[in-house]
Amino acid sequence: MKRLFVLALVVLIAMVSFAKEQVLHIYTALDENEWPIYVKAFEQATGIKVQVVRMSSGELLARVEAEAKNPQASVWFGGPAIDQIAAKKKGLLAPYKSEAVEKVPAAFKDPDGYWIGIYFGAIAFGSNTQQLKQLGVDAPTSWYDLLKPQFKGRISLAYPYTSGTAYTVLAALVAIMGEDKAFDYWKQLHKQIHHYNTSGSACVTQAGLGEITVGIAFAHDIITKGIDKGYPIVLTFPKEPTGYEIGAMSMIKGAPEPDLAAKFIDWMLSAEAQSLMVKWNRIPINPEATVAPGAVKMQDVNIVPMDFEYFGAQKDRLIERWKEEIEYGM
Amino acid sequence: MGVASLPRLLGGDEMYWVKQMKRIWNEPMLLAMIVLIWVLLAVFVLYPIIMVGLKSFEPKSGVYGFGVYRTLFSKRYFVTPIINTLKLGVTVASVGVLVGYLFAYAITKVNIPMKGLFRTIATFPIISPPFVIALAAILLFGRNGVITRKFFAGIPPFEIYGFWGLVIVETLAYFPTAFMTLEAILMSISSDLEEASLSLGSSKWRTFWRVTFPLSMPGILSAWLLVFSQSMADFGNPLILGGRYHVLSVSAYLEITGSYRISYGSGLAILLLIPTLIAFFVQRYWLSRKSYVTVTGKPSIVRALEPKFYVKVIFTAICLILVSTIFLFYGTVLFGSFTKLWGVNHTLTLENYKFAFTYNWEFIKDTLVLASIATPLCGILGIMIAYLVARKQFPGRRAMEAVSLLTFAVPGTVVGIGYLLAFNQKPLLLTGTALIIILVFVFRELPVGVQNGVAALYQIDRSIEEASLDLGSSSNQTFWRITLPLLMPAFFNALFTAFVRSMTAISAVIFVVSGKWNLITVRILGAVGNSDLAQAAALSYVLIGIVLIAMFVLRFLTMNFSYQTKIRRAIS
Repeated sequence: MKRLFVLALVVLIAMVSFAKEQVLHIYTALDENEWPIYVKAFEQATGIKVQVVRMSSGELLARVEAEAKNPQASVWFGGPAIDQIAAKKKGLLAPYKSEAVEKVPAAFKDPDGYWIGIYFGAIAFGSNTQQLKQLGVDAPTSWYDLLKPQFKGRISLAYPYTSGTAYTVLAALVAIMGEDKAFDYWKQLHKQIHHYNTSGSACVTQAGLGEITVGIAFAHDIITKGIDKGYPIVLTFPKEPTGYEIGAMSMIKGAPEPDLAAKFIDWMLSAEAQSLMVKWNRIPINPEATVAPGAVKMQDVNIVPMDFEYFGAQKDRLIERWKEEIEYGM
Repeated sequence: MGVASLPRLLGGDEMYWVKQMKRIWNEPMLLAMIVLIWVLLAVFVLYPIIMVGLKSFEPKSGVYGFGVYRTLFSKRYFVTPIINTLKLGVTVASVGVLVGYLFAYAITKVNIPMKGLFRTIATFPIISPPFVIALAAILLFGRNGVITRKFFAGIPPFEIYGFWGLVIVETLAYFPTAFMTLEAILMSISSDLEEASLSLGSSKWRTFWRVTFPLSMPGILSAWLLVFSQSMADFGNPLILGGRYHVLSVSAYLEITGSYRISYGSGLAILLLIPTLIAFFVQRYWLSRKSYVTVTGKPSIVRALEPKFYVKVIFTAICLILVSTIFLFYGTVLFGSFTKLWGVNHTLTLENYKFAFTYNWEFIKDTLVLASIATPLCGILGIMIAYLVARKQFPGRRAMEAVSLLTFAVPGTVVGIGYLLAFNQKPLLLTGTALIIILVFVFRELPVGVQNGVAALYQIDRSIEEASLDLGSSSNQTFWRITLPLLMPAFFNALFTAFVRSMTAISAVIFVVSGKWNLITVRILGAVGNSDLAQAAALSYVLIGIVLIAMFVLRFLTMNFSYQTKIRRAIS
């Protein structure tokens, strides 16, 4: 019996003595195939080791909230600023300011440095061209086009509570139509939805595969995960204004590695890092960075002004209403 | 739970307990072990589950009451998943048992060809990651699936995302459980009884319904309850394939990871726990006693009756259809793992595997490391408990066995939420560590070790150990020299099962993974969620490959280290 105890003890000690090395821990809402682009470059540029967990924005918010007493990661990297504003209102973020942050235009960051913009993105429709032909319809160019009978059971997007993309859609509809009208509209839309995903960009691949016909997601995801990959996808925008995001990053309150986090945030704002976004067709915030030729710029689309502070603060209430009236309301 | 308070709790003869206590007091090592195991079980099995229960009575932090349950039963977005889960569980259990019974009957009672092959393939879903079948279902029957496109011109014959998709996938995944339970029962029914019935003039049809079927009834109920619990607890398949059909495990998960409403998630988890616990106790403590196993004193002989030709053809056909379906599903995923872009570009490529081994190497490595650490710990602890339960007399022995088997019955979702709640604060601050994942593995798979150990110990005649003691060995020496070597096959078997289950686990660990330690199953689920189907397929096959390697290592170990084989070899 004694030998058993000794054995167990040795294994236990071996376990505890693992994981001692200084590494930066990042939670990201970027695609599993995208975050390595920046993180590997950062590791090479600085020699700092990084570990990343990918979650959808809503899940990320929930995780940071769950770990508030015992934060496990230092940086919240990517995803719409709205979720980070919601986190700020819940006291989950730490303000960060630096020379690099100073250079970011005021419209793209929190005045107190709770979140800092990295990129711009607009909500769009990605439609499968083969299926459009089969169904005999044009790609949707209005929110109301989605309600056409041909699209019944052929549209998908994510849950607004797990995904920042889908919450941006909800917020945009509220901004465009007013809250009650937006919910009335979504009740119609709900009948057209095939299913909801947890991740915002998943519907692009699904549209590409033909599992669905139209996916509602960010334009850069539709281009990168759909068109550039070789799927028969066409990108369109709703002619009423569409919604947009400021993709942001922030430092988590009580970050276990604040120094490394600061280095990452500063590096991510550099022209060098921002130019890497070419690979994902994002529009970088840094004006010195290179922009992908096919990327959709802010001036190219008709966007609705969105009060991110308001939608960040109202998130819990709007989500509750969405679940009660739409997801299970009918 | 203090050992001293147990006698009164359990009632019983006061003097008897005093004597028992004294005896244990005289064996300090034994006492220490009992106390240690109780502490471990209390902290890592009971405490987390109790925390889930408590949390569900705390709608807002600091406020206690029935608020959560009142909401759960009044809001449609909670009631729907409750009904959905039960509906799915009942359907899958019924279909699964029917399929499992036909299959088991064909193999034990009808003399069909290729029995061995059928048996092996039927158990394949057990050792593979559970959601591979769901992945295959999408590849085959999705709007853009191979079958949908080739045979149905792009219009799915039925909606794979939702109830029927889940029924098919879960039936394929869980009918092996029913099959194995029923095979054991059918084997224990002596053919003499059937032959007696036949020679008394009953037809085969009548014999089946009057003799074989009633005798296998406890097994049928048992299998039904087991499959029902598995379906209730399933998380991976409904997450991938549920579509708009929500079940409790997924709702609880989304409630916590999507909205951070832990109280509601806990409430849903408790609603999930109650039926599975009832099923477990009914199956284990009531049905197992009702078994009509035919004890004749003679070894029961199962002869497969030579049936009419057409019966044989029908049963062979049923088995063939089932086995080829399994083949089709796993084959599709294998093929998918080599395609460039599933559904669009089917050029064969190794890219997905390259991707798996470069970008996802960390996930593979972590999973291997954590499962390899957890498995021996789980095996050792399991054998220790089995030894105490089967060989020693002490108060609370029965309770110890029951608690150590409890995690079998508790859905992974409940365990995961429990660990999240219990070990997220001091003094036991474990979130984010490797330890918490290892602990989940160890205590979730503990029943495997305990059950295998107890079964093996009951088979080892006590007289062997007594002989060793009589010849002057201490009880310590006896354990190491006699008991343990005899236990080795059971031990390795438990190790293998625990390893496989840890490698393919998802429902509990998804709540405790962190950036520092990541698991391949979580990654696969992410890839499927993101519709990176070819990547998911490749990762699944990497995982299946690891499991197969483990199986060969186990074969090697059991062959070389078990006494039975050594003895057998010496004799021959």
